[in-house]
Amino acid sequence: MTITAGIDVGSGAVKAVLMSIEDGEERVLSKVVARIRRRHTPAVIDEVFNAAAEAAGVETIDYIATTGEGEDVSFSTGHFYGMTTHARGGLFLEPAARAVLDVGALHSRAVLMDERGKVLNYKMTSQCASGSGQFLENIARYLGVSQGEVGELSLQGHEPSKVSSICAVLSETDVINMVSRGITTANILRGIHESMAFRFVRLLRAIRAEGRVLMTGGLAGDVGLLKALQDGFEEEKRPGPPIEVVNHEDSILAGAIGAAIWGAFRHRKLGLGEAAWKASTPTRI
Amino acid sequence: MKCVVGIDLGSTTTKAVILDEEGRILGRGITNSRSNYDLAAKVAREEALITARFALLRHEVEKRAGAEVLRSLLKAFRLSQTLAQLARLEELILGQIPRLVAEPLRAAARTSVGSIFDSIRTEEEAWFKDPDPPARSDFFRDAAGSAYMRLAEEIGDPNGVNFDLLVGLYDRCIIQVENEPLELGFRDHIGSALERIGNPDAVREGVEQAVHVPLDEICTVGTGYGRARLPFPKEQIRSEILCHGLGAHRLFPDTRTVLDIGGQDTKAIQVDDEGIVTSFQMNDRCAAGCGRYLGYIADEMNIGLHELGPLADRSKRRVKINSTCTVFAGAELRERLSLGEKREDIIAGLHRAIILRAMSLLARSGGVQNQFTFTGGVARNSAAVKALRRLVEENYGERTLNISADSIYTGALGASLFAQREAAA
Repeated sequence: MTITAGIDVGSGAVKAVLMSIEDGEERVLSKVVARIRRRHTPAVIDEVFNAAAEAAGVETIDYIATTGEGEDVSFSTGHFYGMTTHARGGLFLEPAARAVLDVGALHSRAVLMDERGKVLNYKMTSQCASGSGQFLENIARYLGVSQGEVGELSLQGHEPSKVSSICAVLSETDVINMVSRGITTANILRGIHESMAFRFVRLLRAIRAEGRVLMTGGLAGDVGLLKALQDGFEEEKRPGPPIEVVNHEDSILAGAIGAAIWGAFRHRKLGLGEAAWKASTPTRI
Repeated sequence: MKCVVGIDLGSTTTKAVILDEEGRILGRGITNSRSNYDLAAKVAREEALITARFALLRHEVEKRAGAEVLRSLLKAFRLSQTLAQLARLEELILGQIPRLVAEPLRAAARTSVGSIFDSIRTEEEAWFKDPDPPARSDFFRDAAGSAYMRLAEEIGDPNGVNFDLLVGLYDRCIIQVENEPLELGFRDHIGSALERIGNPDAVREGVEQAVHVPLDEICTVGTGYGRARLPFPKEQIRSEILCHGLGAHRLFPDTRTVLDIGGQDTKAIQVDDEGIVTSFQMNDRCAAGCGRYLGYIADEMNIGLHELGPLADRSKRRVKINSTCTVFAGAELRERLSLGEKREDIIAGLHRAIILRAMSLLARSGGVQNQFTFTGGVARNSAAVKALRRLVEENYGERTLNISADSIYTGALGASLFAQREAAA
């Protein structure tokens, strides 16, 4: 049995899982997510990893795989690119998925893959933070809405106010303007979700996604965004092959899970002897 | 006394300028803009009236009791205003607890909120007593917000009342506090301010005289980003470009080119010898290239906006910033810091980036003529001024660069000059 850790360092949060892999059966032993906020990222990585190791209650870890911005994690065994880990993790969570849409704090990307998690095509959003997770979080704060409420509220918005691209930094004024025009919070959020969905539809079409697509990343749990995206494909002016977007309760962990699985793969290939981590001598940065 | 008012309803702040019959500046007021434009305009006007009243009593009080007493009266007045706003904010937050916090946590949430507000009040009293208090935002929202966040983080997580919950309560209530009319005028607080400084006779007499000078507003003109929604008739609205040109002309009569870098937009304006606009360019709705860009960077680095310029001034090496988007520039900053580049060099690079964007606007509006006036919040930043001076000289040769300490009021000043013309007509 191989025990691996996957650590996904994003710009907004650090995610970690511990997995056991035995005879091709992959199991998640523990999962931890922590927001970085203004803290020092290495300290958050340390905290998240230790919490995950403790929750799993394992004696040794064979391979510690990092992904995302985790290249410099001092105790990592190896690093994997974000698109490969999201593809592999997405496949673990949703075996029928052939593409993932990763919506993170700063960037969004669409990855096309085959049934074994091999990346076939990939595309990222442009050089502007409009429509990112950070952007949506700012908007929610200006509206006095908590992150958890955003999705449900957006579902109640039936007369969305059209928004074109809004600068993530200047969004406060746009929100103030919409509020002063008497637009309800639900309709503002739905309008923003629609404008984000519009971009994601184009992104997924650009990589030629088909069939089932899994949302991953920090915003995957936003049911309002998911609905807007599903509606976006239904209302396409020139519809392409059918696309069904779904999410999973562990979507935010897709990168970390993918890293852990790839870590196990590399561990087997290389036949590394010594454990990467032992409970008796815990890692400290 | 008859007076006219100009109001500049900007995207970030709302400014008001009051002129007397001779066109002298009587008072200036500023507040942060909010969803209720009408109220933002009202608060800015009220603030301008307060400074006008203080200007009227300055003469009397300074003569009788000295300048120091006047300063502490003003501080006592500000403290009294702040305490009133804090009381309302706390009341609202406590009122939200039963609706937003689960039953088992409510008592603990009340305790946490109560202790945060007690600490803020203690800090406010200390601010009043401090002869040389540290610089801070003039706006209740920012000053109270940063104190609240800091204290919420310090309190930690006793009994499950975590930071997110406390911030959630704050976010919900600050909007309401800002959007309801509170009694914050001169008459509302001058009494308690007098009490606080011991009610000296000399000051009281000066105050009583100043209170009774009538200030009749005979005309008001509005301008700025939100001008269309000001409750004014059409002839009392002017475009912000026109007001800016005229305001800059009033500050520096030989001005031919104006660059205004405000919170959320940047304007390059060419004016003639009477302050009338001949051509202009504005940036699109993007924070890169406006003041908010630097504000965001300061937030990222957890330092005050006013500390950025002096920090960048220490730079010895030129760094080129690759990102355009503000959010990505923030990420680039963190990345470069972790690679070991010097803080001051990166910050200087960011200042240069914002000025380069302004240079392209200037070029499209018709270049930089002599004299050149730089206005807006960014004109107060020494590193931005340095970068601008250098780039203007490299591209256009020698130019006289005018900067006024009160340049943030340029638009409102222009509007008040239009109000004066309107009243005379």
